[in-house]
Amino acid sequence: MSARKAVIAGSGAGASVTAMVLAEAGWHVVILEKGRSYFSDLAGSWPPTTTFSNDELKAARSFENPDPIAYPRTFRSSDAQTDGYYVGSVNELPVTVGGGTVHYGAAVPRFWDIDFKQLSMLGPQPGADVTDWPFTYADLAPYYDEIEALIGVQGDIHQMPATPTLAHAPRSKQFPMLSGPQQRASALCADGARSLGLHPYPFPQAINSRPYNGRPTCNNCGFCDKYGCVIGARGSALDPLRRALLTGRVELRPETMVTGVERQGTKATGLHWVTTDGRRGTETGDVLVLAASAIESARLALLSGLPNRSGRIGQRLMFHYFTDGFGIFLDERVHAYRNRGSETQCMEDFNDPDFPGAREFAQLQGLPYIRGGLCEMGGSQGVITEGQFYQFILSALQPQQPFGRSFKELMRSSILRDRLVGIQVMGHDLPYRSNNVTLDPKVRDFHGIPVPRITWAPGQHEQVAQEFYLPHITAVLKAAGATVTATVPANSDQIPVLGAIPDTKHVLGGMQMGVSEKDSVTDAFGRMHGTDNVYVADGGVFASSGGQNPTLTIMAVALRIARHLAGTSAPAAAAARSTAPHDTLPATGGRPLLPLTALAATAAGLAAHRAT
Amino acid sequence: MAVQDPQFPLPLSRRGFLAGASLLPLAGLVPGVTAAARAAAPDAPYLFFTKHQAAVLDAATRRLVPGPDDDPAEAGHPGAHEAGVVRYLDAMLAIFDANPPKIFAGGPWSNRHTTGPNHLTTFVTPDAAQAYSWKQRIAQLRKDYTAGVKLLDSEAGGDFTTLSTSDQDKVLASSALGEFTALLFGHTIEGMYSIPEYGGNAGLVGWKEIGYPGDIQPRGYTAAELAEQQIDVIDPIGITGQVLAAFPHVAAAIVTRGQRHVG
Repeated sequence: MSARKAVIAGSGAGASVTAMVLAEAGWHVVILEKGRSYFSDLAGSWPPTTTFSNDELKAARSFENPDPIAYPRTFRSSDAQTDGYYVGSVNELPVTVGGGTVHYGAAVPRFWDIDFKQLSMLGPQPGADVTDWPFTYADLAPYYDEIEALIGVQGDIHQMPATPTLAHAPRSKQFPMLSGPQQRASALCADGARSLGLHPYPFPQAINSRPYNGRPTCNNCGFCDKYGCVIGARGSALDPLRRALLTGRVELRPETMVTGVERQGTKATGLHWVTTDGRRGTETGDVLVLAASAIESARLALLSGLPNRSGRIGQRLMFHYFTDGFGIFLDERVHAYRNRGSETQCMEDFNDPDFPGAREFAQLQGLPYIRGGLCEMGGSQGVITEGQFYQFILSALQPQQPFGRSFKELMRSSILRDRLVGIQVMGHDLPYRSNNVTLDPKVRDFHGIPVPRITWAPGQHEQVAQEFYLPHITAVLKAAGATVTATVPANSDQIPVLGAIPDTKHVLGGMQMGVSEKDSVTDAFGRMHGTDNVYVADGGVFASSGGQNPTLTIMAVALRIARHLAGTSAPAAAAARSTAPHDTLPATGGRPLLPLTALAATAAGLAAHRAT
Repeated sequence: MAVQDPQFPLPLSRRGFLAGASLLPLAGLVPGVTAAARAAAPDAPYLFFTKHQAAVLDAATRRLVPGPDDDPAEAGHPGAHEAGVVRYLDAMLAIFDANPPKIFAGGPWSNRHTTGPNHLTTFVTPDAAQAYSWKQRIAQLRKDYTAGVKLLDSEAGGDFTTLSTSDQDKVLASSALGEFTALLFGHTIEGMYSIPEYGGNAGLVGWKEIGYPGDIQPRGYTAAELAEQQIDVIDPIGITGQVLAAFPHVAAAIVTRGQRHVG
């Protein structure tokens, strides 16, 4: 194999897999990562040591996230809004070696068959740009298998429901590890859901339930989702990055942000970069890969003026449209701060367009079908975040004295943390061309580069689906034993989430895959139409959003793209690199509180408020 | 700014705090307070505040999060003063006095629940983008705090510390102070409940008070602790009852609050 060279923007889920495959196929690879590394040498002792920690304040201070002062984004809910819109954090993902996977909750369910063939199998939706992916679930399934083995996923096929989950996402084999122990809050939700005839199951998690890939068993510390794992129990981009680096053909350059693509006609020649301390240069290569996450890759394509025959670069941006249910237990402390991933149970019934009553409800509203999404069951929030909610609540409840002993009493009773059980529905977000990334005409980052301007609003489908599923979420919380419940929005004639600053951390689309250059940005293997050698290998290529956490799918799609580039389209048998014993031990997994989107958004708002 | 239009029902009359709440799950994990673990001595010099500024903020934060000396209902329950919140505020505003700056505590763990060195005390050097952002942020906060203390004094007619506690409450809740009180309260909560390496939560009193173990690595929680049923019945009375009664609105308001934050 001739030694070719790839230059990759980003080091997260998609970038890491791409680098691994190309390097192991003999390529030279340079990875340009905007952020810094919080790990020791990934090619050295394993798992690496880290400066991540169980520290809520450090996370709130944007330790791994882009600081909104240096790297702001702008947001508006409609392009009719031409001025005075929000400047700050908008659905930002970490900027650090490993990207979002350094602090994701490691929830790694698969997408469904209907996600890849949504137009063919479910039909069009008014106002939306529904389309098929250029491949099927069956095409991607072997890549899913391989990624699950690569990063180490726990789960249990025998506890997964035949319908809807396995019917829509069939598995050829058991998970690499069995599910670890269940946390109280999640188990209560699962029992409640089961009593209603629903189908919860242990959440597939890229978290070790036994030693795997040279990394230890999770100890359920509870600082998992939105925190870096300090013991190396979480599977992530670090696993493929290590394999890439161990080839000796990969250079990983942190604090180096890609600013554009150098190009002559259809042939790109390199990526321009600037270091955090201001040095600039260009890295040349035979293949250039954009994998900086959906919003940033679209920003790069727009900054570079890459060919855009479909007019769709940056369009069809999908975030998921989360709905939150809150249950409060007055008879017990459900202590969701002891957790793994945030919650250890999930349920996919609400992701099914044929959920009982869903089609009838949709048709009454003039829609062919609606989909909610996967439910994450049993999360709560951190103690500083909790305190800041009470601060806010007291300002409304007793403005004459919104502090003092009332605050202390609330912290002790802890109805919004230690007694709280959250259910979060990951609302399937249809693709709309009006939801998009453009370059902000005014705001620039601290390098002087135009920032992404996000225009996004839920469409009719998302709002109708949310309205339909609200009472079902409440029913599950009640069946779980919650004394008091609430779902957001509180009533259907007022949807307060409209206009909210998106903070779902699921960022998809904008560089959509397709067959024709007339209506897609990239081809079936991630090559940008109108270019010979610019590839996209992150969530940007998604043609639909599914109703699940997207990281596993990002990695599986990147694997398929990279295998094509390397000339080995069929998935090779995964190189068994695990140094772990193969006996299955009961796990003691662990992780922090799952952030309810609304709560997280509020916390972010508070933090940003304090920052201004 | 949010939810000034309280459609919230305000049903229950205020009562004393919750009876019977057993707040010490995993009691063995909640670290005890030792004299040695207390924050800097009260007369240690401040890095940013003048003595008067520190005194005003001590008085103000005692009203926001009262302890045993500040509210008879809080006997036995440490508050902002006991947690050393003013030391936390001072450390935050003097974040760049240290090298590396004290923005991000280190990792991977403190060994608070185990034995061994505390790695959190070695702060992480910020990169150029982080330093750029935090210099701007802290410069603004220094202005806000200097102006905020001045305003507390002027609204108090000279010296905030000389007011009665009920008058201090009135000043803090007044519309003139609204924005600064909110800023101060938010930071006070950080100083109560963050890891103590940032200068607050002295002797871990913030966590101990609410039965929270805090950072737990490398110990973590066992499978049994994960699944444990921790019965602890409370009645929906007092402010907890009020929040519960208003809960659907509270939940909606939480979301609304999040989205209203437009800068």
